Amino acid sequence: MNLSRPDRRERLDALAAEYALGTMPARARARLARIARADATVARALSGWERRIAALADAVPPVQPSPRVWHGLRVRLGLDGADRGSRWRSLPFWRGLALAGFVAAFALGIALFAPRTERPAESIVVVLAGPDGKPALVASVPPGERALAVKTLAPVAVPAGRALELWMLPGQGAPRSLGVIPHDGVRQLRLDAPPEIALRGIDALAVSLEPAGGSPTGSPTGPVLYSGRLERL
Amino acid sequence: MVASAPADRQARAAALIGRVALADQRAFEELYRLTSSHLYAVALRIVRDRGVAEELLQEAYVAVWHHAASYSADRAQPSTWLTAIVRNRCLDHVRKRELDTVSMTRDEGEGAPELDLPDGGPGPAELLAAGAQAHAVRECVETLEGGSRQAIALAFFQGLSHSELASHLAQPLGTIKSWIRRGLERLKGCLERAQAPR
Repeated sequence: MNLSRPDRRERLDALAAEYALGTMPARARARLARIARADATVARALSGWERRIAALADAVPPVQPSPRVWHGLRVRLGLDGADRGSRWRSLPFWRGLALAGFVAAFALGIALFAPRTERPAESIVVVLAGPDGKPALVASVPPGERALAVKTLAPVAVPAGRALELWMLPGQGAPRSLGVIPHDGVRQLRLDAPPEIALRGIDALAVSLEPAGGSPTGSPTGPVLYSGRLERL
Repeated sequence: MVASAPADRQARAAALIGRVALADQRAFEELYRLTSSHLYAVALRIVRDRGVAEELLQEAYVAVWHHAASYSADRAQPSTWLTAIVRNRCLDHVRKRELDTVSMTRDEGEGAPELDLPDGGPGPAELLAAGAQAHAVRECVETLEGGSRQAIALAFFQGLSHSELASHLAQPLGTIKSWIRRGLERLKGCLERAQAPR
């Protein structure tokens, strides 16, 4: 049954209402959810009713869930500090940390004293793709340069009054803005330090849709359109 | 997220979801602190079991973590988006359980579901009125006829299905369905006028 046909609008609306209210039986629920994933008209009807009906939920007095829920989430998602309690107290951990520190100091010593010519600067490349996996932009820092070149592979459709903003995603902590980028062509973004420092600890870059001029909050506010892992070559 | 859901709270939640989309763990933790007690209460009313509600709440936040990028502040308020994620998980759960119950243990004393509220909180009818008050759409709820109002309140706040409503309200299935349909149609027209389009 094609629910998005104009003559089925009323039927679709009634089904979407029952879905959002939750009175629909399991099989019909699953079927409608499946159709909505592929059909934007059906998806819109569902979200319209979810919006109307969610307003009623605000009256429910809050109930605090047990701390188990948050703890379980941290473990399931591998978030920071998921097992900090045990790890920070363990002797092997401290031994490991001391050893790692020694190795790092040793490696740094070598790096500092090694002749420059034997350690060519790395080049950095990030291919940013959308949810469909299709590459949309390439960001790169050529060896020895202090700017990030961002190139769009095809013009990106940006709604009027909106802009694309590029973000660095550290392994830990909040995203940091690299600035607004054009929807087409190439843009050089100056880094405020040499790339090995400016991009230290950065795992990935992402592009979000923001109000014109960039995020007013200093953090991404719009949907993420593209992202990609940082490759050091 | 709580009763009055002020605009700055919604704006805060929207900003946090944006950062969660970029895998910001601190934003995720703050979003959890801001929203979990409300979403847990919503889940608890539908599944009526603390352990199950906690499990589904956790799954819902896993989905939030993975799908935050698909949230668009232009299309939905954060509370709408989050409530739908939690409610849909809970409804899927209770509807599937109902399916198993019907097909396997129908005559083993697993009859109508327990209607006791967790912690003896307010009943569905009071909540519907309170929700309406909070959103200045009391007139909308008041225009509903008694049967429609009761059926919609029970369905929404207790997660009852058509057939559970029929047995709970001692009415034929057809009557329940038409009460709900008529009530929802009327609510839609009224809410459309009362709610600012988002």
